[in-house]
Amino acid sequence: MAAEKKVILVTGGSGLVGKGLQHVVEQDKRADETWVFLSSKEADLTKQDETQAIFEKHRPTHVIHLAAKVGGLYKNLNSNLDFFRDNMAINDNVLNTSYKTGVRKVISCLSTCIFPDKTTFPVDETMIHNGAPHQSNYGYAYAKRMLDVQSRAYHAQHGRNFTSVVPTNVYGPHDNFNLEDGHVLPGLMHKVYMAKKEGSPLTVWGTGKPLRQFIFSRDLAKLIIWVMREYEEADPIILSVGEEDEVTVKDAALAVAEAMNFKGEVIFDTTKSDGQTKKTASIVKLRRYLPNFKFTPMKEGT
Amino acid sequence: MAAEKKVILVTGGSGLVGKGLQHVVEQDKRADETWVFLSSKEADLTKQDETQAIFEKHRPTHVIHLAAKVGGLYKNLNSNLDFFRDNMAINDNVLNTSYKTGVRKVISCLSTCIFPDKTTFPVDETMIHNGAPHQSNYGYAYAKRMLDVQSRAYHAQHGRNFTSVVPTNVYGPHDNFNLEDGHVLPGLMHKVYMAKKEGSPLTVWGTGKPLRQFIFSRDLAKLIIWVMREYEEADPIILSVGEEDEVTVKDAALAVAEAMNFKGEVIFDTTKSDGQTKKTASIVKLRRYLPNFKFTPMKEAMKYTCDWLEANYDTCRK
Repeated sequence: MAAEKKVILVTGGSGLVGKGLQHVVEQDKRADETWVFLSSKEADLTKQDETQAIFEKHRPTHVIHLAAKVGGLYKNLNSNLDFFRDNMAINDNVLNTSYKTGVRKVISCLSTCIFPDKTTFPVDETMIHNGAPHQSNYGYAYAKRMLDVQSRAYHAQHGRNFTSVVPTNVYGPHDNFNLEDGHVLPGLMHKVYMAKKEGSPLTVWGTGKPLRQFIFSRDLAKLIIWVMREYEEADPIILSVGEEDEVTVKDAALAVAEAMNFKGEVIFDTTKSDGQTKKTASIVKLRRYLPNFKFTPMKEGT
Repeated sequence: MAAEKKVILVTGGSGLVGKGLQHVVEQDKRADETWVFLSSKEADLTKQDETQAIFEKHRPTHVIHLAAKVGGLYKNLNSNLDFFRDNMAINDNVLNTSYKTGVRKVISCLSTCIFPDKTTFPVDETMIHNGAPHQSNYGYAYAKRMLDVQSRAYHAQHGRNFTSVVPTNVYGPHDNFNLEDGHVLPGLMHKVYMAKKEGSPLTVWGTGKPLRQFIFSRDLAKLIIWVMREYEEADPIILSVGEEDEVTVKDAALAVAEAMNFKGEVIFDTTKSDGQTKKTASIVKLRRYLPNFKFTPMKEAMKYTCDWLEANYDTCRK
């Protein structure tokens, strides 16, 4: 490994995954690494001039690009255009400014929710563009897919080491627990919190049948740091627990209830949308690189 | 149809398809239509402020969005990033400015070269996103695909009548006849012109085996005008001659040679890339709407274009 100093800029550094990275980096300090965690307060990355200014200020050699306009199922459903345009702007500004300022490596963050809706399972890294994404969040999904397209294009046209990672559903401290636009697990945790307080039942949106692979944010952070230090491909890599650890939303709800000692009733509001039934992702590629990586058990993580 | 006045802004108005539109519109003037043909000299559409300014100047009610960074096979191969970024910028500026200024309808122009590389044939409008495009021009292809995604998103989120058309290989007067970055048919015409002048053989790049559907720019223009006046879907529509009119690059080369009275030898440089083998597109959707539309016979349209090239060689784009 090079002994040169690295300055690693993390966009979206105050979010769920960013905070996970902050935690792991504290436990594993390296002399050749300076970490800078950006939040949206410091720069609006949809603006090219603000992005340029922040790069000039910090002069990164590496970028972990987590910043995005995100939301749960319901927010996406009605605003696909905005999710597409804002994320395209952020991504183009970050990648292009990285290119212009000589950044060596950019790791962008995709998601398994961007895979084709009609597909065989498990999905793997080669299947990202093989069909239209789910109708509920096609704006966000296409913008993320274009991150992969651009990363490979920067690599092909300019020889830059730009690549991407594909996590499944992430959870952990510092998540967005908002019931309207948070994701499923933090949403459930917030609901159990309120149900306990109010002595009311836990109402889970949807049928509870959809299946998900949940990865603890600190495990994801360790893997992203490994990608930053060691992974050299331009093609993306899925970062997740294995297929055998897939759980239903119902089982996730029950696990949260148990973790929070909730004794009340659990009901399912089937008038609400389920989103995608399945998103099962293969970690064969990850296991080729890291056969011995141990994930935090879900019970402990929640 | 509404009796309200239409101001139709055509971006890329000085290009191959734009000139086709200009010609057809001249022959079919309507009292309720004002046509404005933009060229890149008047505005750099990769810049948001210049796009805004041109919309404020002309106040269009309708937009036919043809402007793009385009090139033939060889130029795309080495610059996929630039083709992606420039076209994304142009497209976002045009669609977003159209939305902000209350434009009722935007018709964007896609291409059959953006379809999935691994696919069954013929391709149709529902198949655009069903797999990665050909490696040779994925930058351009993805940017065009995102035009369809955005058109449908403007429709879903804001109720705007934004849609797209999908032509196959277009040819006609006012094309780009440059040998490096023009397309196959104008490239062949230019080569025959030079081969005749120099008394040398005609060298066709590639094996000559790839198949293409060629649509004359003036036929395409008539169809785009019909889309602007009558087509109400947000989903795209393929505009092309039928599958039965697909020809090989070799047969196209021989047709050009005949149209230009070239008697020399025709050889194939198989060290050059062929690009995609086939791109056969279905016009079942078009025929549902326009069962009786007649295309200009290829022999006639080619002769017209070749004659135009010979008469305008010095000033044409090359």
